Parts: sequence; C-alpha cells; structure tokens
Amino acid sequence: MSPIYAVVWGTVALFGATAVYGLVWAIRTGQMRGFGRGALSIFDDEEPVGMVTDAFPGSIDASEDAGDRP
Amino acid sequence: MNAAASFGAEPTVAWRAEVDASCAYPVVAFFVSAVFWLLFGTVLALVASIKMHTPGFLSGAEWLTFGRVRPVHLNTMIYGWGSMAGIGTLLWLQARLSRVRLPLQLPLVVGCALWNVGVAGGSIAILTGHGTSVEWLEFPYGWSFLFAGIFVVVMAASLMMFSARRVGHVYVSQWYLFGSVLWFPFLYVMANALIHGALARGVVQAATNWWFAHNVLGLWFTPIGLATVYYLLPKVLGRPIHSYYLSLLGFWTLALFYNWAGTHHLVGGPLPAWLITVGIVGSVMMFIPVTTVAVNHHMTMKGHFALLKVSPTLRFIVLGAMSYTVVSFQGSLQSLRTVNEVTHFTHYTIAHAHLGVYGFFTMVMFGAIYYIAPRLTGREWSSPRLIKVHFWGTALGMAVYWLGLTWGGILQGLAMDNPDVAFLDVVRHTLPYLWSRTFAGILLATGHVAFAVLAWRMFTLKGRRLPEPASAPSAVLAGGAG
Repeated sequence: MSPIYAVVWGTVALFGATAVYGLVWAIRTGQMRGFGRGALSIFDDEEPVGMVTDAFPGSIDASEDAGDRP
Repeated sequence: MNAAASFGAEPTVAWRAEVDASCAYPVVAFFVSAVFWLLFGTVLALVASIKMHTPGFLSGAEWLTFGRVRPVHLNTMIYGWGSMAGIGTLLWLQARLSRVRLPLQLPLVVGCALWNVGVAGGSIAILTGHGTSVEWLEFPYGWSFLFAGIFVVVMAASLMMFSARRVGHVYVSQWYLFGSVLWFPFLYVMANALIHGALARGVVQAATNWWFAHNVLGLWFTPIGLATVYYLLPKVLGRPIHSYYLSLLGFWTLALFYNWAGTHHLVGGPLPAWLITVGIVGSVMMFIPVTTVAVNHHMTMKGHFALLKVSPTLRFIVLGAMSYTVVSFQGSLQSLRTVNEVTHFTHYTIAHAHLGVYGFFTMVMFGAIYYIAPRLTGREWSSPRLIKVHFWGTALGMAVYWLGLTWGGILQGLAMDNPDVAFLDVVRHTLPYLWSRTFAGILLATGHVAFAVLAWRMFTLKGRRLPEPASAPSAVLAGGAG
C-alpha cells in the first residue's frame, strides 16, 4: 500500500475514533449529568456569579453600571 | 519554562495569577503576530477590492495582479490573523478551564515564530507566482509540513493541560476546543495529502478542496469562536449559561453535521447528485446546533443588554454571536439548489464568507483579546475612544460590506440567469456594489489601525497599571512567567 493511503486511512480512522471515544468517555465519566453544576464550574469565590468582569478602561466599577441587571 | 502543573489548595487568586502568567509569552506572541497579519491582510484586501472596480489600479507589476493579491489576502487572514489569534485564545482558555499552567511554553513560542515564517514564506511564494491555485491551500505544499508540525505542539499542549486538569467537569468550551485542536489538524493533513499527493484529481480534487475549505470554518474557527463565547459571555455578565444542556447538544450536533456540509459549494457541478445532496442535508441539519447556540446566547443576555455600554469584550462577542446565527441560517438556506442557482458565482457568496470569518470569528477574537490581554500584562487598555473607533469602524464596515454585496450578488445572480442580459452589462451593474465594498474596507481598515495602536500600547506596557491585577503580576512580560 502506498504511504499516502496509509496517511489518508489513518487520518480517517483517528478522526472518527476521537469523536466516538470522546462521546463514550463523556457518558461513562458522568459529564452528561449535573448540568446545573457544570454551568457554574467557571465561577469561584474570587469571580462569583453576579460579578461583572470586564469594563472599558477607566471605569470605576463595572458592576455599578450594570443597568438592568437584577 | 515548565511542564503542565496543577495546583493544590491555593486561594483562587493564586491559581488564576499563575495560570495567566504561564500563558503570557506564548499567547502574547500569537496575539502580536495576529495583529501584524491583520494589518497586512487588510492592505491586500483594499488593493484587491479597488481592482474589482478599477482594474488598472497597480496593474504595472505582476506580483500585484488580482490573481495573486487576493489569495495572499485570504491566506494571511486565515493562517496569519485568524489562526494565530485563535491559537492564542485556545491556549489561554484551555489553561484557565483546566486550572493548570500552560505547558510547552518555549516550543509554543518557537512554534509561533515558525508559523510566522510559514505565513510569510507562503505569501511570498504566491506573490512570486508559485501559488497552488487550490483555494484556501494556496501556499506551496512544502509549507504544510511546517504548519502540521506546529499543530502537533498545540495539540500536545492542549492534551497535557486536559490530562492535568484540576476541575473534574469538562466545561462546554473545552469540548469545542477539542473539536478544533484534534479534528482540524487531521483535516489539514488529509486535505494536503489528497490534493497535493495527487490522489485527488479533477472533480474529486474540487470535492476534497471544498470539504476542506468549508471545514476550516466549521471545525477550526467555529469551535474556537463558540468556545470563546461560551466562556466569556457568562464570565463577563457574571451569570451562567441559560441552558447548559442546550450548549452540549449544540456541540455534539455540530460535530455530527458540520463535516458533511462542504460539497454544497459544488451545487450544479459535475459531481454525483448524491454527493451534493449529502452536503445539502448536512447544511440543513446545521439548523439544530445553530438554533441551540442562538437561543442559549440570547437567553443568557436577556435583561443584561445595558452591559454592552460597559464592556468592550461584550460588544464584540455579542455582535460575533449574532453574526454566527445569521451566517449559519444563511448558509443552510444558501445550500438549497433553488437558492444556489441564483447566488452561486456571485458576490453574495463573498458577503456570506466574510460574515462568517469576519462578522462572527474575527469579532469574537477581538472581544477575546480585549479580555485576555490585560490579564497577561497587568495593564489597562490605553484609550476607550480608540476601542470605540475600533468597534464602530468594524461593525459599520461589516454591515456595509454584507448588505452591499448580498444585495448586489442577488441582482447579479438573477441577471446572469437571464440569457437576454449581456455578461458585460451584468458586470457593469455590479460596480456600485463593488464601490460599497471598498468603502466598507476603508471603515474596517480604520478600525484595524485603531486596534493595532491599542495593541502596540498594551504589549509595550504603555497602558495604566491595573490597580489590583486580577491575575497577572505586572512583571510577567519582564521575565516573571513560568
């Protein structure tokens, strides 16, 4: 078999295998459960829910200008 | 420079500062390079655009002919600006989400330098008449080995961070990042092997070409862009994503359907009908992931639109996310044979492509750099006014570009389908829209210059020192990384 075919079929196999493996792994390790906790995983004590983390330079406190935030 | 390392029980401020510090050199190197290629590609875009309505412009030199300038513009924007901004953002996001230091810092910096050599060398090759004429793969074959090698380093860094991660849960952005960092390199190697390895010839080469080119957006830029939005939107707003379930459904359906869509570019071409139909089906199925993303982003923003006045990052990523919805729905409809018969081979397609690569991806990357850079340098952006010039120049420029070429393209397509209209008359009727394209280009270029000035001041540490750096110490760029 020409080396080029090995590259092509090897790439196809790897390409598909990563997707299948990723999905199986996600299900087996519980990644598809507890969606509420997953959404909160990017927040912590220093940057908690409710804290605005970006503002134009020179702004005193972004959260003071939060407008219609609850 | 150290390998990936996780943290123990440090306070959160400590891990965030260390993660950001570890990213400083590689990510800043990728961002600075990206901004350079953005400016370079913009100049070429203006030249190419002017040539469309004034063909005699700069026509005295071979290397400035449209057939060379246009592909160099495209490749510098794709591989220079887009990919380098994307890799920088990807590395920072993966480190942040895994809560580990960025590994392979030196190889990544070297990789960044070599990537620049690749883009420069490929561009010179095209300008001197050695381009391949395979769209989105115009750089001569040899350069693909260099890019593939650097992809391996980026892939390795990403996997190392993932395997050392401190957080058990894999956030939705990480799924998207894996989609890009694992799948696109395979795609790139595969397309190069098939097209340049002489396995794919004739119509098979065209099918392979468009399968690849469409997936540059679908499996490279789109996952990085959506990963960025799914992280920054909730972080900036300070509220979690509206429906995390929808976000994961969106990722897996994108993984399932996007890869099939490329052959819709060849509607009407001499390919088996089933092959093109598969592309159309894949394109229409994209309504599912796009709807999940659109609903999720809108519901997350709902009630918080006033923050657009406050946050530069939010302005850019919200505009980018809105463009994603529009360009994706447009793309699905455009793939239908009845629509494609009118829009194919017209300026409508150019408008659509720019809405995807610029309106969506580039806007999101601007937003990401506005968020990430101060955390790497410990400095504020130097001028709110220049940020506003950047935003309004690019937003209005993109709007004028898209509206002008979309409308002009539809009229052009209808006229070309009418055998009673002479071809030269069709060309003549498109001229006002081509002028609108150049006008839009000037607006975009104005925004880019403002952004470049801001980036220059940011990365030369000319901005005001942040009062209490949330993450990076100010000494990071002076040697504190690692």
